[in-house]
Amino acid sequence: MPDNSFEFRLERMFAEAPAMPDAELFTVQVLSRLDRGWTARRLLIGVMGVAGGLIGGFQLAGSGGLGAVAAFGAESNAYFTRHVTDQLSAVLPAGLAVDGQVILTAAALALIAAGFGVARLIREI
Amino acid sequence: MAMGPIAKQRLASAHDLDLVGLAAAGDRSAFGELVRRHGSAVRGLLRRMGAEPSAADDVAQDAFLAAFEQIAEFRGEGAFRAWISRIAARLYVKRWRKEARADLLADAGELDAAPSGPGADARIDLDDALRSLSAPERVCVSLCYGAGLSHAEAAAALNAPLGTVKSHVKRGLDKLRSRLSPDDDGGQRSKVSA
Repeated sequence: MPDNSFEFRLERMFAEAPAMPDAELFTVQVLSRLDRGWTARRLLIGVMGVAGGLIGGFQLAGSGGLGAVAAFGAESNAYFTRHVTDQLSAVLPAGLAVDGQVILTAAALALIAAGFGVARLIREI
Repeated sequence: MAMGPIAKQRLASAHDLDLVGLAAAGDRSAFGELVRRHGSAVRGLLRRMGAEPSAADDVAQDAFLAAFEQIAEFRGEGAFRAWISRIAARLYVKRWRKEARADLLADAGELDAAPSGPGADARIDLDDALRSLSAPERVCVSLCYGAGLSHAEAAAALNAPLGTVKSHVKRGLDKLRSRLSPDDDGGQRSKVSA
C-alpha cells in the first residue's frame, strides 16, 4: 500500500520555494527579454504601416484624391474664417490674428495633450 | 515609462488570477509581478530536477516568456505556480533530450550521490536528498511531485514508457523516504538514518 502521507509531504517540500537572493534581477531579465520581443514586433508593425501608408498615398494620388482633400481643407478653413474668427476676434486682444488654420492647429494640440493626460491617468490608477 | 506607486501597490496586493487577466490584456507590469512571485519557485524546481543554476535560469526565463505568449489559455482551474512549473519542467526535459547529454531514462545508476553513511547525524534537506537519486529518478520524481504531472503526463513529456517512469518514481521515493525522517514534516530537514 502506498505511503500517501509521505507523498503529500514530499509535494509540500517541493512547494516550498527556496529563497533566491537575485530574484529581482531575474524578474528584470525576463521583462527585458519580453521588451526586446515587443520592440521587434513594434518595428515590424511600424515598417508595415509605413509601407501600407506609401501604397495608400500613391493610390490616393493616382486617383485624384489629393485634390479632393485639398479642396475640403480650403472649404473648412473658409468656414472657420467666416463663422468663428469674427466671434473670437471680439474676445481676443487686438492684433492677434486668428484664422481657421490656427483654430484647427490649436484643437489638434489640445486633443494630443488630452490624450497624454488620459494615458497618464490610466497608468496611475 | 515607470509605473506609478498606486499601480505598483495594487499589483502587489492583487490575486494571481487578476494579474493573469491583466497580463492577458497586454499589461507587462502585471506579468512582472507574477514573475516576481513565482520566479524563485520555478528556478528552484529546475535546480531540483538537476539543472545547473545558469541553465535553470535560462529555462525558467524561456518558460515565463512562453507563459506570456499563451497566458490566455490559463483558465485558472489550478494555481498559476503549478501551471508555470509544468511549462518549465517540460521545457527542461525537452532541452535535455535535445542536447542528448544522456539517455534520460537509461539506468544510469546513482549520479551525484550525496555523502551518506557514517555521518549519521548530518542534517540534509530535500535538495541533498534528491542528489542521492539517479538522474532519471530525480527527474521523474520532480516531474510528478514538483511539477504536479501525472505518471502518464511525465511519460509523455519524457517520451518514455509509462512503466519505466513508474519504476523510476518508485525507486526514487523509496530512497527519499529512507533519507527524510518521518517526524520532520515542516522544515525539510531530517537526520540521515544510520
